[in-house]
Amino acid sequence: MRQRRVVTALAIPLAFAFVAASCGSDSSSSNVTTAGTTATEGTTSTDTTPRETVPDVDTSVVAQTEKPVMGGSVTMGLEAEATGLRPWEDSCSSPCYNIMRTIYDTLMEEQGSGGYGPYLAEDLTPNADFTVWTMTLRPDISFHNGTPLTAQTIVDMFPLQQAGAAGASAISSSKLTGVTATGDLTVDYTLSGPNSAFAAFLAGAPLGMPFDPAAATADSAGYSTNPIGTGPFTIKSRDIDNETVVVRNPNYWRTDADGTQLPYLDSISFRPIPDEGTRLDALLSGTVTAMQSLRQGTIRDARAAGGNINLIEFQGNNTGGGMYNTAIAPYNDQRVRMGLNKMNDQKRVIEALGGTGISLPSTQWFSTDSPWWTQEAADSYPAFDFDGGKALIQEYVDDPARTDGKAPGEKIDVELSCPPDPTLIAAMQVIEQVWTGTGLINVKLTQYDQATHINNAVSDKHFAHCWRWGGQGDPAAQIDPFVADPAVSVANFPNYNDPEMQQWAAEADATDDFETRKALYSKIMTKINEQAILWYSGSTAVMVATEPDVKGIISWDLPSGEIGVGIPDAAVRWQEVFVSAG
Amino acid sequence: MVKTIAFILLRLIATLLAVTFLTFAMVALLPGDPVDTILGTGPRPPGIEEQIRADLHLDDPFLVRYVNWLGDAVTGDLGSSYITDQPVADTISQRLPVTAQLAFMSIFISVLVAIPVGVMGAYKQSKWQDSVSSAGVQVALSIPNFIFGIFLIWLFAVKLGWLPASNWNRLSDGVVPNLKTSILPAFALALGQMAVFSRLIRSDMISTLQENYILSARAKGLSDRYILFRHALRPSSLSLMTIIGISFGALLGGTVVIETLFAIPGLGFSLINAINGRDILLIQGITVFIAVMFVIINTVVDLLYAVLDPRIRRS
Repeated sequence: MRQRRVVTALAIPLAFAFVAASCGSDSSSSNVTTAGTTATEGTTSTDTTPRETVPDVDTSVVAQTEKPVMGGSVTMGLEAEATGLRPWEDSCSSPCYNIMRTIYDTLMEEQGSGGYGPYLAEDLTPNADFTVWTMTLRPDISFHNGTPLTAQTIVDMFPLQQAGAAGASAISSSKLTGVTATGDLTVDYTLSGPNSAFAAFLAGAPLGMPFDPAAATADSAGYSTNPIGTGPFTIKSRDIDNETVVVRNPNYWRTDADGTQLPYLDSISFRPIPDEGTRLDALLSGTVTAMQSLRQGTIRDARAAGGNINLIEFQGNNTGGGMYNTAIAPYNDQRVRMGLNKMNDQKRVIEALGGTGISLPSTQWFSTDSPWWTQEAADSYPAFDFDGGKALIQEYVDDPARTDGKAPGEKIDVELSCPPDPTLIAAMQVIEQVWTGTGLINVKLTQYDQATHINNAVSDKHFAHCWRWGGQGDPAAQIDPFVADPAVSVANFPNYNDPEMQQWAAEADATDDFETRKALYSKIMTKINEQAILWYSGSTAVMVATEPDVKGIISWDLPSGEIGVGIPDAAVRWQEVFVSAG
Repeated sequence: MVKTIAFILLRLIATLLAVTFLTFAMVALLPGDPVDTILGTGPRPPGIEEQIRADLHLDDPFLVRYVNWLGDAVTGDLGSSYITDQPVADTISQRLPVTAQLAFMSIFISVLVAIPVGVMGAYKQSKWQDSVSSAGVQVALSIPNFIFGIFLIWLFAVKLGWLPASNWNRLSDGVVPNLKTSILPAFALALGQMAVFSRLIRSDMISTLQENYILSARAKGLSDRYILFRHALRPSSLSLMTIIGISFGALLGGTVVIETLFAIPGLGFSLINAINGRDILLIQGITVFIAVMFVIINTVVDLLYAVLDPRIRRS
């Protein structure tokens, strides 16, 4: 049996109650070699995960040695329903990906060692300047309806992706302009500019999950409830908001290292259970046999529940925090932003969020065990310094040329907004206490529902605004739109227009040398810290918890035998999950 | 009689027009843009926002959108969800049986408990039985239904393992599997209603028991049980009927928290998802449907008065 490397949680970061849409996308360069994830599964452990700081929670690497068993089923409690199962149309986040990845395979997959390896693709090679990527598909792959997957399929998918709400955004982000079949199984992706991280876009929806374009064209709405992919499971029933059942695809193209046909499970039932407590209770009571969570409070409760469940905790590159709208006063003055940041006691905020012992303070978009994390960026993030922060605010307040138009000596007005989650409100109150303690700041706390909260950021109706930063995989997909000219990029929420950061991002897109790219992204993270555009309130973690006999959640691999990335965003790859006979 | 029915129908139509207009206006005033929900926070190709707005007629004036929507709605076409592309009418027809069953079970459980408790309270007024039931009612009124729901999950699912903690087995899966998933949420919803219903019955029955015809029945030597349940209960149920009608209508839209807690695919669950996603047509469709049901149920209750109370019928 092939060796399976599995890893345990290093730090269980802060999971915010809101999920900003910017938090979920995946992308990466193809040459990362350092492990960047931690998770846990199994029973024995050896500590081999590279990391650059000492965490305050347990971390270990564990080998899965149990022989997989064919058959059985799993019932998975998800935090929400998938709004749709059409890769080109429906926006997809963690719960949705759990279902989608049973139906659809991806062209590429994220490796545990970093970077991306071929999955449905056999090979993906860029030209010298990363403007044309040539992909060769594996032969003899068919959709669930028997239609073969060919180069022409990929070409025919493109118009649907261009017209789809999800697809159009990814096409814009990836710089993709055309798809051409150059052989039965060979496709050229043509980009409008260099993108060394393009492989990452083929590792998930909307561009990297092949669907049957003919069936999708014939009945787009119907495809959402009756999706057709090449994945290890086929859809059996979909009762929206109640239960989606998938069953083994008997013609799946993959076998395991022993030659056993994948997948192992007969079926999986997905049930949306939005209430975090009920979802955990559902697992504890046997109503479901597995569950996911993106909240630290649930991780804490699951740990406390102890007993007969298996916790698989995973740290990815997400961090909680917030941003200032630098287009408006007083946040358009760096002294104000830095002053506020210096008076933001991250440890107390984490405590208010209930994340003590789970979440680690963060200083950049990457967790400490990510290959993209740098000491340079960490050193540039201000430590808690009440007096220093107050001095900066005082300087602004006394400045006759202060940007908010008030008379020198008058207090500044700060509006801090988060979604109305109790833990976030508690965290806001901690920040408010410190800021108002200066006697220089009027703090107004506001809460809006998540949709309004996001809309306020998109439509520039925000001030000091809670948000979540980063995403699993390559930083390009997150950073490029974030630093782009706010006049053209809605994702530059702080409205900080900096040609230097834009240049660094462009340089990173034009090379696949990891160290060069890492240095460039480190510069961006450092500048974000120096300019105090954002603040941080701890890394984020995710969890999949199962009954003890559900195995193989974290230890999936690619066709090459390389171990996969694990469970970023608590999205499981189900093809190698099994129910232990023991 | 024809005049009365015509008046009721006219009132119904006017109410529905007001309800649909107000609902449409309130949904239109909701902060948040459905286009942002559809496109998310990622990069946007030029022109895509305008294209989606045009496709969904979001740029049309408010009144034009309302009139167009109303015109379609009277033909049964409530539009399609912005998010899922599914027809709103289909979503409602799939969700209604779930919520209606929950509402019905909750009312049934409430009445089943409230009648004996209320009757006993009236019959044993100011005695220890009345004090105990009053205290119980106070406790029941003080506990929010979602807290009671959490307690029920903890007790019956986690600790005892008798019932599932969440989700929904449809009636087509069998009556017993359906009851297993519906009994806890129905009880959670019923708690507050039990209390209200029993207080109502108690106070109405105390008045009824002082009526001359009750004294006459007692003088005839009829048993207390016979008098309570055959002569006193029916005329004491008028207020209960009204409140049941209101409760049923309210439950159709008021099960949001319990449906979310127990992950039940009813109207409330769908409504809260639609609100979070700014799925305007779905919000409108469900809200208007609930309002219409509410109005219709209360009209039916008005008509039922005459059936229940001979005095009203005769007058």
